[in-house]
Formats: sequence, structure tokens, C-alpha cells
Amino acid sequence: MLAIVAEGLTKHYRVKVREPGLGGAVRAVFRPRYRDVRAVEAVSFRIEAGEVVGFLGPNGAGKTTTIKMLAGLLHPTAGRVEVAGFDPWTGGAAFKRRFALVLGNKQQLMWDLPPEETFLVNRAIYGIGWADYRRTLDELVELLRLGDVLGRPVRQLSQGERMKCELAAALLHRPEILFLDEPTLGLDVTAQETIRAFVRDYNERYGATVLLTSHYMADVTALAERVLIIEHGTLLYDGALAALAERTLPVKRVTLVLAEDVPRAALARYGDIREYASPRVVIEVPRRDAAHISARLLAELPVVDLGIGDPPIEEVIRAVFEGAAQAERARGAGAAVGQPDTERPASGAVAEPDEAETGEQR
Amino acid sequence: MNGRVTGLATRYAALIRAAWLTDLQYRAAIAIWLVLGVAQPLITLAVWWAVAGGGEVGGYGQADFARYFFALMLVDQLTLAWDVWYIDRWIREGELNFRLARPLNPIHEAIADNIAYKMKTGTLVLVVWAGIALVWPAVRLELGPGRLALAVLAIVLAAAIRFVSTYVNGLLAFWTTRATAIAELHFGISLFLAGRIAPLSLLPPAVADVAGVLWFPYMLAFPVEVLTGGVTTAADLLRGFGWQCFWLAAWIGVYRAVWTRGLRRYGAVGG
Repeated sequence: MLAIVAEGLTKHYRVKVREPGLGGAVRAVFRPRYRDVRAVEAVSFRIEAGEVVGFLGPNGAGKTTTIKMLAGLLHPTAGRVEVAGFDPWTGGAAFKRRFALVLGNKQQLMWDLPPEETFLVNRAIYGIGWADYRRTLDELVELLRLGDVLGRPVRQLSQGERMKCELAAALLHRPEILFLDEPTLGLDVTAQETIRAFVRDYNERYGATVLLTSHYMADVTALAERVLIIEHGTLLYDGALAALAERTLPVKRVTLVLAEDVPRAALARYGDIREYASPRVVIEVPRRDAAHISARLLAELPVVDLGIGDPPIEEVIRAVFEGAAQAERARGAGAAVGQPDTERPASGAVAEPDEAETGEQR
Repeated sequence: MNGRVTGLATRYAALIRAAWLTDLQYRAAIAIWLVLGVAQPLITLAVWWAVAGGGEVGGYGQADFARYFFALMLVDQLTLAWDVWYIDRWIREGELNFRLARPLNPIHEAIADNIAYKMKTGTLVLVVWAGIALVWPAVRLELGPGRLALAVLAIVLAAAIRFVSTYVNGLLAFWTTRATAIAELHFGISLFLAGRIAPLSLLPPAVADVAGVLWFPYMLAFPVEVLTGGVTTAADLLRGFGWQCFWLAAWIGVYRAVWTRGLRRYGAVGG
């Protein structure tokens, strides 16, 4: 069963351009100038119920804008969205009971009161019966290890404790779809791990669908088997995380521990040296030759230990973005010599989403 | 229908409770607001008290001014609305997002907050007023049950007009960053046209006529006059309540239009 469908999802903004200084401010009053911002451009994907999908992209790439369209806060310029069978923009209260939206940089907890007061308000707003409320809260308290923080004012809680309470507040009505936008932002490693474990447990326990954005790759690798990668509003990749490395960086990293020093030049014959801190050496080799080269290394060098692995996911993602940037430059060069280019804005406006102006921070 | 009403009542009870608990954290701030709210009518009273001296100004003697401005102080507290300040913040700083994701129109949170405040401060001002009336006969009101009922109705309608108009003012933040400046302008005009500076009958007749067809006096001066007995004839009462109903309906209509269009704009440009 499909939980989320996005087809050709597009969001363009028209924003006022203000030049700096007094002159610019005066000109903006009498002759306002606008530019088009293409925050999201024809993005399509389908997410099955119960899937956990990581949504990756640099700042201003269009992640938050997309999530806001899925939650019905923003109206798409074009395209179709369906979430839990609803059109988010017109779904109303019935739709709002089906999902939770957690924005890592905005909180719904009442600052001066203990978190349980926000929970009680949400209980009333979502019309949760007392028995269900108690049962769900007990489960959330256990999963998130919230026991000792419920009675303390939110302002006295650590950032990690606050985020755990944010999650609890957002999940009291047991939503079937979770939109988590940077839920681990600014948290320490332990708190990040708690949040990850919780999201995994919640997904397994309730079969909830999760769409998660994060700057921390560890969040994504720990939780999502599938990733959507977006940049400049365009979807660059939709597929299994495991296949991403194979497709983008078709290399393997061979890690060696050597019994004695081997000169760099001798090692360079086998592949690209990524680390050289004798006795530990990391060599990057083509994926298809990994087994063969490893066998040669074992036979020809004084190897104490050998391991084969994928490049770190951060590097894979970086390679995806670099590939996209190169393609963009190539298109730009093509346009400069007069070749037709249908993907560029007809107006010639800068298409880079501006985070402050598009409301990405919201 | 019953379920819907019960659901709304449960939500209001939870929101009012939360608002009270929050206010308890800000006792000093509320005391300051209260002092400010009480100070303005009292200072204006002091001026008119001096102007009237032993005689009358436009039919108002010192005791009449005292009664008018004490009633104004009470009605002002009971009809107070400050929503523009935080709605502006909700919209500009993104706090509207999680509210829009919940199955409750954010206006209910604002109404609950407003009621919560008035249940506290209204009671407090009444007690203060009753205390002063004990020792100062000039501010006592001749209120029979009929007049009291009319005064309560006028105050409730005035509070509703003031709330909705202020809320709409706050929603202008969907379009402009100067919503609070517009609210200041609105307050400035209301100083004269709502009867804050002087009873409307003391204004130049042309100004009083203009005020009479706008919403300003029906947010303040009219309930004050009902409370103090300044409006006596059935025709005047009927006209006053008629204008109150008209302006309440008009502002609710404006609210609906502005909210729908504002959401569309928010949805179009992201705030």
C-alpha cells in the first residue's frame, strides 16, 4: 500500500530582491524587483506504507519545502501529492490526525511548562481518550526513556531531552506517517542514538512510514534502506542506499595492516592510496578488481590484516553532488554556445533556492 | 453535534489550563500589564477631573467623569486583545507551522488564551473597583439586573469585536512585516474614536458622527455607557446593539476572507 505519492511536485516562489544600503531600500519601495526561485522542480517518488526513507541534500536543496508540501503547509505550484490517501492541501482535520511533523529547529513544547502540559493539550486537540493517552504515553516514556524529565519545565531540559519530548508530543495520536525534519540537529552522539533507536522501534512497532531529513549520515545509514537525494530542487537519486555507492563510486577500499614499512610508490601500483599511516594503509581500487587485487596484495606484500569495504557514505553523497554540479556546468557551457537547454529557467533568473527567503528555516 | 461541542469544550479547557499555568510563570509581567491598563484611564480621569473643577464639561461633572473612566478601566480589561503581537511572531518565525499541522484552527488557541487572561484580570479589576467603590461613592454604579444583563451582553460583543479585529490585524503578517505598526495606528485612532480620551459626546459632532458608524465605539464607549447608564432609551440601546452585531459579523467575515487568502499566500510563498 502506498503511503506517499508525489508526481511532478514543483514549488516556485517569487521573491522580492532588495539591494543593500539606503538607496536599495528606497528603490525597493518604488521599483520592486522580483526573481523566481525554483525550490522544488518536478520531483516524483512513491513511498510504501512502513518504509523508512532518508531525504538527503545540502541546505536550501528543497528538502523542507518538499516535506511542507507533503504535510499540507505549502501548496505546490504544480504536480500531485497524495499522503495517506489525502490531498494534503484539502485534507483537513481527518488528514492531520494521520501524520506527525517534527521540525528539528522549531518546537511545539510550551517553554515554561513541563512537557506533560503540552502532551495534555495535544491529547485534547487530537481528541485522544484518557485510556489511549495513558497507554501511548507510557510506551513513549519507555521507548524514549523520558521518566525523569516529564515534570521539569521545558526551559530546564537539555536539547536532547527536549527533542525526545517533541517526538513524544508529536506521536501521542499514533500517526501512521512521520515527517522528521532534522530531528537530531544539534544533539550529542548519545541523544542522536536514542532518537535513532526510537524511530526504528516506532517504525517496527506500528508499521509507520517515516520520511527523515538529516545532516547526519549516521541517522540515514542507521534507519533508512532507501534514500532520496535532492539538490537545487531536483531529485538526483531515488533508490537503495547500498546501491548508491555501487552506482556513484564504483570503488572499494582495501585496508591493510602491514608487518613492515612499504614505500608509497610500491603501494601505488595497486591503486589510489587514500591513507598512508604505516603500518595502516588504505588503497582505493576499482570495485570489479577488488578481489583480484586483494589476492595480489596478500601474495606480494607482508600483510598482517586485510579488509575490504565501501567508501564512507559521506564521500558517496559528495560524489553524487559533484556529479550533478559537473552536469550542470556542462549544460551551462552548452547553453553558452547556443545549444537549446530546456531545463534552464526561461527568464534567466537565478534558480538557486535561498533558504531565508523560501522559508526553508520554518 | 453534541460530540463536536464536547470536543471543543475539552480543547478549550486544556488550552485555558495551559494558559493559566504559563501566566503563573509571568506574574510580574501580568501585574505590569494590569497597572498600565489601569493607569491610562486613571490619568485621563485626573485631567478631566481638573478640567471640570466644580462645574460641568459637556454635561459631565467630576463624579460623572469618575464613573465613566472607572467603567472604562473595567471594560478595557474585559475586552482587551493583544493577539497581533504573537500572531505576527507565529507567521514570521514559523511557529504557525506546527499549529497548521494540528487538527485545530489556531484561532481557538488565541480565543482560549484571551479568555484565560480575562478570567484572571477581569476578576482582579472587579475586586479593585468594588474596593474603591466602597470608599468613593462617585464610582458606584446604579445597576439593576436588567441593566447588568445588558452591560454583560455589550461587553461580550465588544470583546468579540475587539478580539476578531485584532486577530485579523495579526493575520496581516501574511503580507507585511508591519502588522504590529498597523495595530499601533489602530490603537492611536481608538484613543479618540473608542472613547478612551473622552466620552464620545465631548468630541466635535462631526467626529462623533463618523465614530458612530465605525466599530471603534462599539468596542469600548458603548459598553461603558451601558454600564454607567449613559445610554438610556430603548432606541439608543437597540441602535448600539445593532451596530455591535453588524460590526462583529463584518469582522468575522473579514477574518474568514483574510485567513483563507493568507493561508493561500503562506502556502504559495512559505511565509
